[in-house]
Amino acid sequence: MKLNRREFLALTGKTAAGSVIFAACGLPERELIVQSPVELPEDLVRGEDAWYATSMGDFTNGDGVLVRVMQGRAKKIEGNPDHPVNRGKSTARYDSVLQLLYHPDRISDPMLRYSKAGNLVGISWEQAEARFQEALANANGSLTVVTNPLRGHLGSVATNFAAKYSGKHMAFDPIEQGVLHRAVKSVLGQDQLPTFDIANANTVLSFGADWLGTWGSPAQFGVKYGEFRSQRSRGYLIHAEPRMSLTAAAADLWLAPRPGTEGDLALGIASVIVDEKLVSSDNIAAFNAALPSGLAGYSLAEVAARTDVPTERIEKAARHFAGSPSTDDKSAVAFGGGSAGAHTNGSFILGAIYALNLLVGAVGASGGVTPNPGSAFSDISASATGASFKAWEEELAEWRAGNVETVIIRGTDIVHGMPNSVAIREALDSVPNVIAFGAVLDDTMGYADLVLPELTFLETWGTDIPEPGPGYQVVGIQQPVVGPTISRDESGLISNARGFGDTLLSMAGGSLGSSMERLVADAVSELHDTRQGSVTASSSALFTNGVLQRGGWWDTGEKGTSSSAGKVSTANKNAGYSDTNSLGTGDDFNLVPFQSNSLLDGRLASTPWAQQTPDPISSASWSTWAEINSKQAEDLGIRQGDVLLVRSTSGEIEVLAYPHPGVRPGVIGIPIGQGHEEGGRWAEGRGANVLSILVDQKDSETGALAWAATKVRVQRAGRRVKVPKFEGEVEARPVEPGVPVLVVGPGETAEEAEIANHHEYQGSLFND
Amino acid sequence: MTSANFGGHNWGMVVDIDKCIGCQACVIACQAENNVPLNTQDRVERGRSISWIRIERYWEGDFPDTKARFIPIMCQHCENAPCEPVCPVFATYHNSEGLNVQVYNRCVGTRYCANGCPYIVRFFNYWEPVWPETLRNHLNPDVTVRSRGIMEKCSFCVHRIRRATRTARSQDRQLLDGEIQTACSSACPTSALNFGNFNDPNSKVSTMRKDQRHYTLLDQFATEPNVIYLAKVDTDRKVGAGEAASHG
Repeated sequence: MKLNRREFLALTGKTAAGSVIFAACGLPERELIVQSPVELPEDLVRGEDAWYATSMGDFTNGDGVLVRVMQGRAKKIEGNPDHPVNRGKSTARYDSVLQLLYHPDRISDPMLRYSKAGNLVGISWEQAEARFQEALANANGSLTVVTNPLRGHLGSVATNFAAKYSGKHMAFDPIEQGVLHRAVKSVLGQDQLPTFDIANANTVLSFGADWLGTWGSPAQFGVKYGEFRSQRSRGYLIHAEPRMSLTAAAADLWLAPRPGTEGDLALGIASVIVDEKLVSSDNIAAFNAALPSGLAGYSLAEVAARTDVPTERIEKAARHFAGSPSTDDKSAVAFGGGSAGAHTNGSFILGAIYALNLLVGAVGASGGVTPNPGSAFSDISASATGASFKAWEEELAEWRAGNVETVIIRGTDIVHGMPNSVAIREALDSVPNVIAFGAVLDDTMGYADLVLPELTFLETWGTDIPEPGPGYQVVGIQQPVVGPTISRDESGLISNARGFGDTLLSMAGGSLGSSMERLVADAVSELHDTRQGSVTASSSALFTNGVLQRGGWWDTGEKGTSSSAGKVSTANKNAGYSDTNSLGTGDDFNLVPFQSNSLLDGRLASTPWAQQTPDPISSASWSTWAEINSKQAEDLGIRQGDVLLVRSTSGEIEVLAYPHPGVRPGVIGIPIGQGHEEGGRWAEGRGANVLSILVDQKDSETGALAWAATKVRVQRAGRRVKVPKFEGEVEARPVEPGVPVLVVGPGETAEEAEIANHHEYQGSLFND
Repeated sequence: MTSANFGGHNWGMVVDIDKCIGCQACVIACQAENNVPLNTQDRVERGRSISWIRIERYWEGDFPDTKARFIPIMCQHCENAPCEPVCPVFATYHNSEGLNVQVYNRCVGTRYCANGCPYIVRFFNYWEPVWPETLRNHLNPDVTVRSRGIMEKCSFCVHRIRRATRTARSQDRQLLDGEIQTACSSACPTSALNFGNFNDPNSKVSTMRKDQRHYTLLDQFATEPNVIYLAKVDTDRKVGAGEAASHG
């Protein structure tokens, strides 16, 4: 009889199982412990690994990471425990970058489109360089370098390169932060974003900014949140946002104001604090100085009516924020951003929110707002943000008019990120030379004349100045942790890519520097010359090694300073919304787009890990869904999976309905990140691009796109499909029927809560 | 609560739900570390995705009193594991350090263990795992790629334990508390996930498990898990009052 492996294992297994049953009848206990007779694969760890420290430039606000490398291949990305920003912790995005590095659709060689209507065809780097030089020569001053907001030396190279050719460097960020920077500057007098001492705050009051998910520096804030919850007196979190984000879900008190009334809510909270004299008269005077128009019109009742937040909730938030009179510890901090600032009155909203810090004396205080210092380098800014939407409209008008000869694009997908109203495709078609860099094709490259394969941050040199930093000077050092990857069949490199910075330096003929490696070396040398900071060494070489090993340099002695408070912008206090009158049948909603927790603004959409990661709130993946209030959906006859037509004056998209109770009625929340024309096998043609239907309204002060001020009309398409989601895949394992997650009150033990739940359940059974 | 007292280590985890924000950092860190097959759209729609650790989200209340509750769930590494005695080929067994271990090259895919597990943390490979050629570069050489027809589940990153143990042994020293971190606990930004040795009374996890909020999942089954949960704190909850929640 011939046994195959499975039959053999099954047979021996049955014999062994019998012995266990027999053993249970009285053999010594030690014989019941079944041990592996062989070394398991997991017992045999093979090879040595190396962990390289580097800075994660493009996908975070400056987190430090360690990359595990074995035999020249990057295997894992984790937080760098030594780095002061994220202190060893990660986000759900880190590892996805590995799949960008080894993406099967990674651009292998330069590609040229011989005519605007033609296809991209592969060319050599020599041909690409010649074409690049030709485009620069033809530009004759009409050149624009477009990038994501770049920090560190790469930003400096892009700016200097544009200046050398008499052009300009413009940054584009679809989730514009200009209003935030303006508010921080005008109210707190800070040139760069401050950080927030969440860990030591008694109360955190945030508006719109999903700081535990995608806003600012989520890894940094996540670490602080863990500490905030671990305090002897557990911190209290209040979050205001029309839909439930990760931060709203973590909050002790969630407020869901009407979109665009977050500023009213902030001043309503201030009004309660002032009326009840919950803080010192000095603090009230400081607050009044920043808001000369005063709190007239912001009484509790008026604010409750405008925001649709009940008065008792506003009062509760105010009293928590001002601190309990019975304790000395009143540390509190207020901050906002994201959808709260993305309105036509965004400057007023964020100004009012940040002014709350003056009311509780939070600026520069423990548990409050921590100013960040300027850059460690005289020629590198410590802050980076995108140009305003208004500036972009003006720029694109120049492109369409044929006044720009050459555009160089890197790190931002402007075709995907711009609303339809600016006709970005026509603008690109009007530019004779569009040169785009990237690792995987994106929508913008679909309109480029010359496509250049770019190395990722794991393969290049650079520096990074985290924003927001931890409250003192930090310079992250980015180093290549892997070399060019040879294909597994050894037929060649999987990508013959070059770094963006090095390509610009090369095209500039060395006048701006010989290489990024050299610029980084000079920067490190400059840091060494300060004789300060986290690394001390007797020689420049040792110092360089130390900085590379630690992933950067930081100087806890170089702190930011708080300056005199400014004023809240009150030029436009009332939000405006786009019109829906001409949009046909359907029901009107306020559209609140939000960054995907895994795809961000779409820059990771090409990777399968980012696509498959369940959204924390809906658990959906691989698609674009629309969150609407479950009760309202029921009233409108909308069910999960219904295909919805979401229409604005800028266009229409199709999304899948996902009703849930964590959205305020009248609001439709749609994730950003899908709807790509290009982007490789996992991104192309998937979902819908909500950014395309935004209406071109702007913050009246900064000209920033009011991306949360679009009103849409929603109509069922008459089809229903299955939403790809994790929810419902497994049954709940309740601690008591109806109680899947054990919740205790303050001071209550788990056992007491379980008994109380049990009694309540018994009571419900017998209708007590 | 587990009663095991092995001579050496008794590995376990303490999950503080009060700190879990549901961010999924642990989920992707685990996928990357353990060569978990890609969960394509088709597999997600069929309910066949594999996720050694998952975050479950439950709704409580209606707008505006809505609350979302998150709980990370992975193999509980039970001392009285229902999955172990049902395996006809001893592919799953309990090792001397408190780990519930899955031996891939013994597994014949009966799925009895998955039927027996009340936590639904065992996954069957319905398909041969496939990565495009270039993506195979990031596979972790320390972890076996499981083939079609066998079960897989959280291993508490046993390969990390082995590697750290080997390093400590080569340096002639004991393992330090916190020296070994599973991929999920290492990633967790809020430190909701904590891994360590329950046999060390001074370890962080031993201290944490004494918290008055500690409980285990489905303790009525007496599985004695090595994963201890600390209950979520809700300041709105009246002490002694149970709450009703719906799950979706």
